[in-house]
This record gives sequence, C-alpha cells and structure tokens, in this order.
Amino acid sequence: MATAIVDLFDLLEGIPAGAWVAISERQHSVLAYGADAQTVLSEAQSKGEDQPLIVRVPEQASSMFF
Amino acid sequence: MAKISYDYTPVELAASEPYPQGITMYRPLIRATITASNGNSLPWLVMPDSGADACLLPVSLASLLKLDVLRLPKDLTGGVGSSANVTYYDTVTLNLGSGLEFKAYAGFTAGMDNVGFGLLGQNGFFDKYNVEFLHRQKRFTIEATRE
Repeated sequence: MATAIVDLFDLLEGIPAGAWVAISERQHSVLAYGADAQTVLSEAQSKGEDQPLIVRVPEQASSMFF
Repeated sequence: MAKISYDYTPVELAASEPYPQGITMYRPLIRATITASNGNSLPWLVMPDSGADACLLPVSLASLLKLDVLRLPKDLTGGVGSSANVTYYDTVTLNLGSGLEFKAYAGFTAGMDNVGFGLLGQNGFFDKYNVEFLHRQKRFTIEATRE
C-alpha cells in the first residue's frame, strides 16, 4: 500500500491560498512557500532538500471538473 | 496479476451555496516522480483522469525541470471553462512507486497551474495500465503489468 497523501495535506493548514509549497517528505515539514514556484524550490534546495515535493494550495477549496 | 493499491485523498471543501455545510471530496491522488527528457526530476502529485486525452501537467513544473518550453512542440488544448490553452509536449518518465514506471508524451499547460497537480490521461497511462476505482472503499488500484 502506498503512502496516503492526506498526511502531507495536513501540513498545508494556514498557508495562504494560491501559494506554491515545498515539502520535505523525509522531515514531514514545510520548507518554503510563496507565490513563485521557482523561488520556493530554490529556497527548499538551499535548505538541503534537493527533491522537495512541490504542491499548490488551491485558490479556492471548491469542486473541480476537468 | 499484481495490483498496486492507493488510498483516495480526502479534501475538505469550504461551505458554499450548493454545499452550505462544506463537503469532503475524495481524489485519487498519487505521489509520482516525474523526470523530463533532459534528465531533471521532481516529485509531483498526479491524478488518474480517464476523461483526459493525454497526461497533462502544470507549465510551472516544466520551468522547474528546466525545460525550454519554447523549443517544445505545442498545440492548443481545452477543458471545462477554458479553451485554446497553449500546451507544450515532452516525453517524461513517471514513477508512481512500487516499481510502476512508464514514459508518456505529456503536455504542460498554464491551465493546470491553478490546480497544481497533474493528470494521468488516456494517451500514455490508461493505454498502458488497467485502473480500478473502488470509490466506496476509498481506494483504487493499478495493475502492475502493462496490457
């Protein structure tokens, strides 16, 4: 069974809508967040995490249709 | 035949006119590692979507992977609420864990930036693997062996 992502989503609480977030899966923590994905990745890498999981907090927590 | 099982991810949606109490939706998200044709890779969330013609990723990910999108083949794609989205294509490798790895000719579009995660669509994913959605059990499976 693969790891549930819900544990990672718990980390997003309190982070502004629309923000890109870099998560350390090893440390189970948020390394950086902000409006620009490249800046967020660079900040995470400067903290020693070469491969952070990058996710985005939705602008609105609403239903999605594709 | 071996199947890899994944849990649905519950997502709490805010109260709204149709859902005054808010509502929990369950999305079949998977943590993948995506490697571009230039060898750069990052972990990213993706979701199987049999309604998508192909695999589709946020264009921001292309930048993070240092792909020069202006040198990639492009076309216009559309979805609910949008059309004529410029979409750039690269052959990426997706590793979904548990030995499940495959190549897909995937699109990168700004239309997916608001969503943040990627879609695993028909070309590149559903044409390779059988997927079983067991929504009532809140899990889904992917057959580890390609058809």
